[in-house]
Amino acid sequence: MYRLGIDVGGTFTDFTLLNADTGQATHYKAPSTPSDPAESIRKGIPAILKRAGVDGTALSFLGHGTTVATNMAIERRGARTGLITTKGFRDVLEVGRQLRPHLYDYTQTKPPPIVPRRHRREVEERLAADGSVLTPLCETSARAAVDRLADAGVDAVAVCFLHSYRAPAHEQRIRAMIEKTLPDAYISLSSDVLPEFREYERMSTTVLNAYLGPAMANYLKGFFESVKAMAPDTEPYTIHSNGGLMTAATARDYPVRTCLSGPAAGVVGASEVARAAGFPHIITYDVGGTSTDISVVRDAQPAFTSDRQVAGFPVRTPMLDIHVIGAGGGSIAWLDDAGALKVGPRSAGAAPGPVAYGLGGTEPTLTDANLVLGRLNPRALVDGAMPVDAEGAKAAIEAQVAEPLGLTVDAAAFGMLEIAIANMSRAIRSVTTERGHDISDFALFAYGGAGPLHAGELALECRIPRIIVPEEPGTMCARGILLSDIVHDLVRSAIARADRAAWGHVCGLFEDMRAEGEARLSRDGVETADRTYRYFIEARYVGQNHEVRIALDTVGRDGFDNFVQRFAARHTQEYGYDIPGRPVETVNCRIQAIGRVARPDARFQGGADSLDDAVRDRRAVYVGEAQGWCESVVYWRQNIPIGAAIDGPAIIEEMSATTVLLPGQRATVDPMGNIIIETGL
Amino acid sequence: MSREFDPVAMEVFSNRLLSITEDMGNTLIRSSFSTNIKERRDCSVGLFDAAGRLIAQASHVPLHLGSLMGGVQAVLATYSTDDMAAGDAFICNDPYLAGGTHMPDISIVSPVVIDGAVRFFAANIAHHSDVGGSVPGSISGSARTVFEEGIRIPVIRIARGGAVDSDIMRLVCSNTREPEERALDLQVQVATNARGAALMEEQVERSGLARVLGAVDDLLAYTGRRLRNRIAALTDGSYTCTSYLDDDGQGGDPVAITVTAKVAGEALTLDFAGTSGQARGAMNVPESALRATAYYCIKTLLDPNLPPNGGMFEAIAIEAPEGCLVNPRHPAAVGARSITCNKVARAILGAFAPLLPDDAVMAAGHDSIPAIVFSGERRDDAGPFVYLETVGGGSGARATSDGMDAVHVHLTNTSNLPAEALEHEYPLMVDEYALVPDSGGAGTQRGGVGIARQIRALQDGIIFSIRSDSHVIGAPGVFDGGEGGTAKLFRNADGPDREALSSKVSHIEMKSGDSMRLETAGGGGYGAPAARAPTALAADIHDELISREKAEQDYGIELVHRALTEEEA
Repeated sequence: MYRLGIDVGGTFTDFTLLNADTGQATHYKAPSTPSDPAESIRKGIPAILKRAGVDGTALSFLGHGTTVATNMAIERRGARTGLITTKGFRDVLEVGRQLRPHLYDYTQTKPPPIVPRRHRREVEERLAADGSVLTPLCETSARAAVDRLADAGVDAVAVCFLHSYRAPAHEQRIRAMIEKTLPDAYISLSSDVLPEFREYERMSTTVLNAYLGPAMANYLKGFFESVKAMAPDTEPYTIHSNGGLMTAATARDYPVRTCLSGPAAGVVGASEVARAAGFPHIITYDVGGTSTDISVVRDAQPAFTSDRQVAGFPVRTPMLDIHVIGAGGGSIAWLDDAGALKVGPRSAGAAPGPVAYGLGGTEPTLTDANLVLGRLNPRALVDGAMPVDAEGAKAAIEAQVAEPLGLTVDAAAFGMLEIAIANMSRAIRSVTTERGHDISDFALFAYGGAGPLHAGELALECRIPRIIVPEEPGTMCARGILLSDIVHDLVRSAIARADRAAWGHVCGLFEDMRAEGEARLSRDGVETADRTYRYFIEARYVGQNHEVRIALDTVGRDGFDNFVQRFAARHTQEYGYDIPGRPVETVNCRIQAIGRVARPDARFQGGADSLDDAVRDRRAVYVGEAQGWCESVVYWRQNIPIGAAIDGPAIIEEMSATTVLLPGQRATVDPMGNIIIETGL
Repeated sequence: MSREFDPVAMEVFSNRLLSITEDMGNTLIRSSFSTNIKERRDCSVGLFDAAGRLIAQASHVPLHLGSLMGGVQAVLATYSTDDMAAGDAFICNDPYLAGGTHMPDISIVSPVVIDGAVRFFAANIAHHSDVGGSVPGSISGSARTVFEEGIRIPVIRIARGGAVDSDIMRLVCSNTREPEERALDLQVQVATNARGAALMEEQVERSGLARVLGAVDDLLAYTGRRLRNRIAALTDGSYTCTSYLDDDGQGGDPVAITVTAKVAGEALTLDFAGTSGQARGAMNVPESALRATAYYCIKTLLDPNLPPNGGMFEAIAIEAPEGCLVNPRHPAAVGARSITCNKVARAILGAFAPLLPDDAVMAAGHDSIPAIVFSGERRDDAGPFVYLETVGGGSGARATSDGMDAVHVHLTNTSNLPAEALEHEYPLMVDEYALVPDSGGAGTQRGGVGIARQIRALQDGIIFSIRSDSHVIGAPGVFDGGEGGTAKLFRNADGPDREALSSKVSHIEMKSGDSMRLETAGGGGYGAPAARAPTALAADIHDELISREKAEQDYGIELVHRALTEEEA
């Protein structure tokens, strides 16, 4: 049987087909089709099946990552949406946290709200903080609000009442009224999408969900139909921003959970590949053309956050904690009027691209610097398929960087590299050392087209002792989809003093959520033996407004003491101290219901008999002022035998990436085909 | 200069320095206990060279820009660097004795000793929620002298060789209302500097002292050059602008803040001659806070991403006559300076308007930091509570956009407390949290609108106080733009006993069911209202951000009619 992973990115759609019996993988790449995102999938599936010589009926699994929802939010192409809320609170959506986006730059303004004020209607009803009804739902005002939205012709309605995370009845009553008046409208209730306290974040998440709902449902329908036609035996899955898989039905109900879908798959893939290779703690380092994604994986568990923004609006559903910075291969070098050399954040992107690509780019980019320094193949990239103009790159750096600064071309190009590395290093430190991690415990997991190119220098700057470069680093996100499980995240707010008396209530919430998780996994067709659950409680000391998240293996009636101990330990880990004797308050209870999906590991197929057979070329590589140009051997990755050691300086090329090995660094290929580099630190 | 400017080393070093200050800032926020530091992030960290020049700062509130400088300079003026050792730390807060900004902001300054000499200082400043004085929170608009505003700390050594002096710690903490919390946070402040010092030492070990010092010189020279280039691009000349506080904190007439911005080639001077005499209340602005305000304005107006360091500060001259509102004489009270600082920003932005290209000009915003305080007993006899919130308002319109609705402007940017969190925590209920229609100044681009926040007491004996401004004088527009709406305060706004209150009332006792409603001010408009795009005007009318009557009054009946009919067509 075969398993297929598809990552629909902004520029390219990547396909990875895995033969579940042999572990053999096939890769395919096609341009994305933003006007009809399903089109690249419709065309790509037959293409990769043909390349592997298999029929659609041989597909047992198909998962896809998509940026459809994120792009729709950023480009504001969602549905005409209305909001129904409690009297006195319709402007919460617009006031938000009353913060301006930039402290000093007033050209950066708040994005206009997704729902304009005229479509935000208030209803007479009010709950108290404990969920009790202060004012019953007024049917007349509710009717008026629904009618107003019907007149306005909305296609989607979000409902968010104050304190509804405690008692959803009023929201459910409104849903029934909307269904009657607007039978075709897409409806999102805040008590369903995110039953969690703090009204702005809950409202924002619910509104975005409604806004994305209709078009996402439409997209999924088209996607589903075309997949069914080509691969009748599969139920297609979509990757959640938390790195788990969800069925098409779940994605239709909660489209907001697919924002950041593709990068999340990459991180899940990285953590699985690294764990199999014996590295439970990694920093993922995914360098593309315009941006670099960084995240921390500890004990093979990616870090989660529920504090992210999409298109400038908070989305509180759990997501992998991925830090994005505006630096990549296409980042442009420029001089400011006071003589500083900067690299990025402006990028040449895919068009016009780096000068060396000859597609009209005139400004020197990081990729041009890598060519000038001999790090990238100065004749052609992508295994010879893409010729490059190294002379053009050199001339651009000479004229626009070296001459104005009075530097040699080598020093100018190397300076560009150093500055980009300094910028990326700052981001790495911000997610590791600045959060209390000891960086020497970690390995740098480099992927994306340009990750392995910069990993050696980056590891030196950040003092990371080793680097892992997976096979075909450019297709990690599609591969990650094949390594993901089905995951449902459930949450209930339980704001209460944590004591033995209240613990029973907490246990009750977990029992409810567990039952709901069971039901959802059963609906997804997951066998009982493949179901696991992870429990989390977010809690704080009384008086604090920040919670820490405590992971628990189980939540039983006798688990209170264990929870208190775990809380103190977690507080100490995160903040450096605990306060024995101070009362603790629980805030949110969460469950991850996980349905394990069978996933055979990809197996390394290649490797020649001797390292000499992997030698492809020799060229000089510039490694800095002290050692200058070093004559280096260029290896072809697929031919490097398992276990062979290579000492830097050296270059390792493959189809989708180039790895640079600096003097003093040593690389070996492990039995799974990963390159492991000891950085000499 | 004997060495050559090295742009690559400077940029690399600059990133490493920022990592160090970010790390220090995270340590401080992560490890602190009090809400003020941990959640409102009312704190800043910085690195200085041995001469007391700021080389890098991570600041979460503009009101702290450069405000660590006063403390570091006071340390250098009081102690010889020969008398300092690794692991020492100094503490200070006093605006007159130690370059402080107001009493609750306590600075800790620690020398970084490398090869037997002080090479750098690590410093941080944090707003402590109480430092003693006549009222909880230590800020009273009606305080007359700094002696009423809490414990005065001149520069003294609080740690020696890595060990905190427990005698001094006890003295300081005993003078506050929450001694345990103070001690916890002060220890975190000392530890934050130790972290910064260790990271600087590592930096020097890695690159060598000479290279690091060279990169510091390059960075400061570069920053100064970059700012001077921006100044040189301005129209030469001088322009004066005056803004007003409603009163001086004790009532009375509006108080003038006058500033003259003088630009000559690459030189820039801000001269506050003409400003009213110092206030009787606590609205005075000490030197550190005035500098922070000036630096904030320059960054905002000329170069929002300019690195904040000594190179920037050296390019700006600030003059203020002694004994005026922005250079008060000892011992005038300064606790409530933040509102005045926002009005100083209004004056500076106004003075720059004729010196900048039209499209870089911004109308005045609500330019206040209204603070509402509710206190009383918690439910179930769980002890007393104090709930403080600073409420945003409208920002000023610009050439290319309306002002932002409902935001903090200028020297602060502080989050609200969600209604659901508030109602859970306190015996209070939020009746309404909304935009204020008709409060945005009319214009081709309209000013941002203010916020209405109405809070009801659920039990007897809730005490309410407020420090606010802009209740009398609205935000001026620019280029024929209209004035923003003024702020208002009502007791029982919905009831028959509705009562309007003034901007600085304190200790009002509320009964169960009583409410307080603050409506904050809007921002000023940009350009003539008649030139507003009809679609934008129609949208505001449909969104009820402006009433039909007010629209006809400000924009003219004809334009309103056209806006509404064109839309239908």
